[in-house]
Amino acid sequence: MADVDPRAIARLTSRRRFIGGGAATAAALILGPSVLASCSSDTTSTSGQSAAPSAPADDGAAATGTLRVSNWPLYMADGFVAAFQTATGLTVDYKEDFNDNEEWFAKNKEPLSRKQDIGADLVVPTQFMAARLAGLGWLNPISEARWTNRGNLRTDLMDNKADPGRKFSAPYLSGMVGLAYNKAATGRDITTIDDLWDPAFKGKISLFSDMQDGLGMLMMSQGASPEDPSLESVQKAIDLVRENKDKGQIRRFTGNDYADDLAAGNIVVAQAYSGDVVQLQKDNPDLDFVVPESGGTTFLDTMVIPYTTQNQKAAEEWINFIYDRANYAKLVAFTRYVPVLSDMTAELNKIDPELANNPLINPPAETLAKLKAWAPLTDEQTSEFNKAYAAVTGG
Amino acid sequence: MAGVAGSTRQRSRIAPYLMILPAMAYLGVFYVVPFFSLLRTSLSEMVGSIYLPTLSFSWNFGNYARALGDYREQILRSFGYALTATVLCLLLAFPLAYVIAFKAGRFKNLLLGLVILPFFVTFLIRTIAWKTILADDGWVVDALGTVGLLPSEGRLLSTSWAVIGGLTYNWIIFMILPLYVSLEKIDSRLLEASRDLYAGNRRMFGKVILPLALPGVLAGSLLVFIPSVGDFINADYLGSTETTMIGNVIQTQFLVVKDYPVAAALSFVLMALILAGVLLYTRALGTEDLV
Repeated sequence: MADVDPRAIARLTSRRRFIGGGAATAAALILGPSVLASCSSDTTSTSGQSAAPSAPADDGAAATGTLRVSNWPLYMADGFVAAFQTATGLTVDYKEDFNDNEEWFAKNKEPLSRKQDIGADLVVPTQFMAARLAGLGWLNPISEARWTNRGNLRTDLMDNKADPGRKFSAPYLSGMVGLAYNKAATGRDITTIDDLWDPAFKGKISLFSDMQDGLGMLMMSQGASPEDPSLESVQKAIDLVRENKDKGQIRRFTGNDYADDLAAGNIVVAQAYSGDVVQLQKDNPDLDFVVPESGGTTFLDTMVIPYTTQNQKAAEEWINFIYDRANYAKLVAFTRYVPVLSDMTAELNKIDPELANNPLINPPAETLAKLKAWAPLTDEQTSEFNKAYAAVTGG
Repeated sequence: MAGVAGSTRQRSRIAPYLMILPAMAYLGVFYVVPFFSLLRTSLSEMVGSIYLPTLSFSWNFGNYARALGDYREQILRSFGYALTATVLCLLLAFPLAYVIAFKAGRFKNLLLGLVILPFFVTFLIRTIAWKTILADDGWVVDALGTVGLLPSEGRLLSTSWAVIGGLTYNWIIFMILPLYVSLEKIDSRLLEASRDLYAGNRRMFGKVILPLALPGVLAGSLLVFIPSVGDFINADYLGSTETTMIGNVIQTQFLVVKDYPVAAALSFVLMALILAGVLLYTRALGTEDLV
């Protein structure tokens, strides 16, 4: 395995959410009002457009030149980019500057709406953001002719409401949102959402401040589903959070920073991302991750090609390279997230049999059956749900 | 002759204006323009798609009603925390600044250096370090628990005291330095004179040192109080779900909810309240000529 301890860096720049107090946030707060105001004043013309652009004509020749990739931090295997360059003769300008979906969107919506280059030929937003970008008409379709390994994708991901048939978005890595707990501190197994509200854990619970990651599993415990959310079902989950917040049960609403509190013993049960827990377990074998009995949610990051790309063919080459199982196994081994390609066991075994046996990396079918993904939300739903949840988390 | 003298005089009259021009231009671009842009936003409505919203200016004072109505608790809490932190800073910094100014002798520069030293480490890292020190399983909590001094929550981290402590720790340098500067300027012969007039320690402090140090107290309090009220880092890292400050609310409104008008209105409410507080405070201390 790679000998970088990703956790050390992850503390500062988490994959899922750039630390709330980061300099970028501070700058956004200081510059925010004027920048945001000036941004929003002249973008009316593009709002609501949804015409899908057609990809630039493909001359059938091999890809050449430079590919600019913008990905999340710690979301790549050592030597992977070099291997791609050797295999294809392309040059890759690889940047880890994708820290947060909404932050990325806020920064790039202006140039994208004017169809100006954003400095990246391929980016890796989460599914919901990819759907939003496709809806705005800002993505190029991915050529099936160049994406020959496309058939390796898990079938459940191919037939997805967010992008039926995977025309615009190629799944990259997936992960589970469940509960992580410290067995030594809880003294028992955690299996249900109700366990979160055990008075013994008062002030030792953390929930995600992200609306989808935080509320999804709570809605499922109440018999609702994030696949078919309504304001009522979301509000019902929020009421549950408020009730327990008022009791002092919930210590913090977190991004990725729950990991530190969990490791330090300040939190004993936390809403958590599977990939983080695999990494944390190396230091603390008492930590365990469980998908609650009533179910948990899954998130999916996808590779997309903005319609401002300067090198469509190279981006497609990159996607196809990643979709080769042997290459992809290296990626999974390093990032420790859940594969989006099917039948990975053999390739993972070649690297390290422990990987294939780890239920957090290679989840068994019964775990996968308990996972649901959020439906792509409409503008109004995103706004309403975020607002309703922020009323509890932000106040 | 007259002409030459006239132009010199004219030039010297223009010179000060030329000298403040860069600063004025800077303030104009980075303060006045955003200020009015923010004001405009706070009185606007958002229309259109939430991803590419348009702000339409409509004298929408409803934003202020919502800001004040929904977040009164956080506003009051922020002022309470900031006030407590300012008082704590003053109580801690005054003796320290006094010792450095009067008693440190040749160690003066060394001590000042030590005061400044922690601030070479970035704000964020310093704050996060407190999470380790105050951790539930840490020795500080153990020790305080043994002597029965823990807050009612049974922990230190994620309590209002941790947030206030963080604010005090992070901003205290802005209290120490102005206090030191004003104390250091005090002529020691004045202290001798007060002794000659049979002033005891308490009297000397009340009649001589404190009045002369007031500019430092005033500047220090403002420098601590104002950033503390709007701070959101300490509440984010050291606080819990019950310690949210107005800075956190504004952050969430801007970056998560993306309700720019309400966020802007909250920023304005905060600014107005701070301004009112500062005016009352300077009036009360009667030091208009000092700031």
